[in-house]
Order: sequence, then C-alpha cells, then structure tokens
Amino acid sequence: MQKIESLITRCPKLGCDIPFSYCLRERGSLPCARILACWSHRLPVEDFLKERLTEDEWNQAFLAPDRDRLSAILTAAGKAKKE
Amino acid sequence: MEQVKVTLRDDEIPRQWYNIMADLPTPMNPPLNPATGKPLNPEDLAPVFPMNLIEQEASTARWIDIPEAVLEKYVLWRPTPLFRARNFEKLLDAPVKIYYKNEGYSPAGSHKPNTAVPQAYYNKVFGIKRLATETGAGQWGSALAMACQMFGLECRVYMVRVSYDQKPYRRMMMNVWGAECIPSPSDRTAAGRAVLKDHPDSPGSLGIAISEAVEDAVTSQGARYSLGSVLNHVLLHQTIIGLEAKKQFEKIGEYPDVVMGCAGGGSNFAGVSLPFVQDKIHGKKISIVGAEPTSCPTLTRGPFGYDHGDLACMTPLLPMYTLGHNFVPAPIHAGGLRYHGMAPIVSHLVHEGIVEARAYNQLETFDAGIKWARTEGYIPAPETDHVIAAVVDEARRAREEGKEKTILFNWSGHGLVDLASYDAYLTGKLTQYELPDEEIERAKKLVAGYPKL
Repeated sequence: MQKIESLITRCPKLGCDIPFSYCLRERGSLPCARILACWSHRLPVEDFLKERLTEDEWNQAFLAPDRDRLSAILTAAGKAKKE
Repeated sequence: MEQVKVTLRDDEIPRQWYNIMADLPTPMNPPLNPATGKPLNPEDLAPVFPMNLIEQEASTARWIDIPEAVLEKYVLWRPTPLFRARNFEKLLDAPVKIYYKNEGYSPAGSHKPNTAVPQAYYNKVFGIKRLATETGAGQWGSALAMACQMFGLECRVYMVRVSYDQKPYRRMMMNVWGAECIPSPSDRTAAGRAVLKDHPDSPGSLGIAISEAVEDAVTSQGARYSLGSVLNHVLLHQTIIGLEAKKQFEKIGEYPDVVMGCAGGGSNFAGVSLPFVQDKIHGKKISIVGAEPTSCPTLTRGPFGYDHGDLACMTPLLPMYTLGHNFVPAPIHAGGLRYHGMAPIVSHLVHEGIVEARAYNQLETFDAGIKWARTEGYIPAPETDHVIAAVVDEARRAREEGKEKTILFNWSGHGLVDLASYDAYLTGKLTQYELPDEEIERAKKLVAGYPKL
C-alpha cells in the first residue's frame, strides 16, 4: 500500500507535484494554509491535524489573517535592510 | 473547411495596455505599509521596484502606451491566435462555441512573458543591471530569464528546492537563457542561511524563496526584484491577451457571453478578462468566471462549513471547525481574500460581484485536460486544465439551460514540461485515497512524530 506521506498532489502555489509530507511542514512546524482545500477530498487530513496541532497552532495555521503578497515583500525588504 | 484560427497581423497588435483602475465602480482600498500601517507611498516600494514600474502600479490612467521596444519583442510570438475549439465542442455536444487564446505560443510556453518582457525593459531603462526573483516550478523564472536576456540584464532566480530537484527542464531553460538558478533555501542570503542552519535538508517554500529574492535585490547595488503575478502592473501588462481577443472577435463579428481563465495568482485570468470587465462595467451583458484550483465543499469530508460570502470556493477554503472537544469554532471570513497569492484587483472584482469564482478539484481538471489533448491536440499546463474544466462545466450548464453561448477562455500555457503530472494522473496516483483504520493510526503516529521545526 502507498504510504500516506508519499501521496502526491499538484501544488497550486508551486506548480509541481509534491508529497503530502511537504504540505504538513510547508511553514516549518505549521502546515500549508491550503492543506485542507487541497487534500480533504482525497483523505481525512483533518484527522491528522487534530493529532498534530494544538488549538493555537490550528488558529495560526488557518485562522490568522494571511498577509498579501506585497506586504510579504515589503516585510522581507525591511528585514533585509535592517540586517 | 471550417475556420479555426482568427489571427491578427503584427501591425494590428494593440499599442496600449488597459488599466482597470480607471473604471472600477468602487475604488480599491490602498495597500498598506506593513511597518507603519499607513497607505503605501512610492518611496516605500523604491528599494524593491524601479520607479517607472511603481508609477504604473499606482496609475489610474485608463490606457498606457506599450513602448516600441516591448512591442518589438512581443511580436516574436504575438498576436497569439484566437482558436475555435471545434473538436472539443463536438465532444461536449452542447450549444456552445468555444474560443481560446493560445498563450502557449510564447517561447517560454506560457502567458508569463507578457509581463516579464516589459518588466525587464522598464528596469533596463531605469538603469538596473540585475533582476532577482523567486519561482515555484519555474514558469515565471524561465519567462523572466528570457526577458532579461532580451534586454541585456542579469537574472538570478531562487527556485523552491522541492521544485528545483524535481523540475530540471525549466531550470535548464533558465540556464539556456543565461539566468542563474539557485535552489532555495540557499547560503546566498541571511534568510536562506537562517533556514539551512536549523534545517539543512529543508525543501524550501515559496515564502522562503520570496524572502531570499527580495533580500538579494534590496541589498545589492543595481539590482531590483521582479514579481510575475498579483501586482497591478503585472495584470496591466497581461491585458494584451484580452485586447487582442476583442480585436479578433470584431474581425469575425462575434462577442463572448462568457470569459474564463484559471485564477492562481490572477494574472492570466485578469489578462484575458479585464478588457471585457470594462465592457461589463459599462453595461455589457457578459459573465466573467475565474476557475480556481481547490476542492469543492461538496467533495470534502469532515465537519467543515465553508464561508461562501465573497469568494466561493476560492482559496484557501477555511472551515468553521471544532477541533477536538474543547475548541471553539472561529468566525471565518473571505477565504480567497486572505490568500496572499491572489491579485487584489481580482479579489476586489469578485467582492463587487463583477467576477464569479468557481472551483474544480484536481481529478476533474486532469480529466478535462486529457479530453482537451485528445481532441484539440495541444497538451495544456495542469493549471490551464482548471479553466478547461470550467469550460466543460459551462457547456453542461448551457445544455441544461438550453441556451446557446459563446465562450472565450485563456489557454494559458502548454504542459510539455509537466508530463510527469499527467503520468501521475494516468497511473492512478492522484485518486481518492480511502484509508483503512490501521493506516490512519500509523499515519497519526507518524505525523505526531514530526519534529517541530
């Protein structure tokens, strides 16, 4: 049987095939914000996340306001200039 | 013989881009400086982008001239043909005429050069010597590499490592066009080194690659950063697609009832649709539909309730969810508007009800793409498959409604370097995965054991 961590999907952010294990760690300790949208129709991803995430992590992963791209760019620019 | 292609001569190429900002019924909220919380001013962007592009980003002029030097590069592949997909129509057996702009005609195989070329040009004119950018699987990176070569600029592309290792052909394309392609995270930047210090085997992410490319640009003399989606000026450059299509429809005395595109970051969708959005704003009866890659709520499992308030099925689907027994569901709002990869203009148009969003899951999109390849010949990029799935859906609706419709969509790129994804689909690797209980338990333990990075 194929192991769940090696299941693949097409990542809409990257534009290539990636394994489920990547989606679980896309933001370090946090899963990708799109993991539910991308995987829920194929496997019970929420069950895994229930086991893995605390309430705070869940909220960080899915409920914290996402920065728009321009804000992300400017934040990175500001950080780089300081360093 | 029936007519299939509608072409424009080189000298019929549009000479101006269309700027939707001039016609929005309600103005967009200004972007805010994350450091101050105040509306951005041009100086905030100056370390990152050249001032001539910043001026375009903020412009409210309806029409912006396309520089002659850009037109000279555009005509290497533009105007792209408007095709009538007669074979696909026959397969669908619905009362629809299907037209598509073939953006796979470009040297890089996608719509991306439509903005890569002017961005390289404007940077060159501003005196910039080198551009830095990030790329996921390489579509944008390869387009920018080609454009930089056209204008004598150096190009450095930070490619997310998981893609870098897996997608050698686009990396090779970048190298052929003279760009330096670096797997991210890298040791070239403080941002990359910080990640590698703790996680030498990090597969990277788009966020890390963005940080690296931006840092590279703002800390190097004569360098700037370049982005291939989301921003207003990117969408502006892409309107060449829809402007050509309007001319081509005029030639054959037709006008679409529905305009469709796939909406990942929004640029190719905006490119084909914004000139038609202008008509809609001024009273034309036309539907504008963006097709999003995500799973539909009806197909999901688990106790989710999705917010369909402003951006139905757009990304990410954020569930109202009770985690475990003690967690309280949090109020959710505006899924797609929260996704930082979506162009604000597109999100705004959806919010205003001018543009409609529909979502299609991976399996139905590949199914549509395979049907397309087997009727029209061209193999679409997997992202393009989403809009083809939307066309299939629209044809079904037309059949059910008994209404004749003319559909225009943007065939945003070919899939000739994405054949591994088709192989995964054709060999059943993308299908529904029904987990037996013991596998669920095993996987839970596995996941619980992942290091907290």
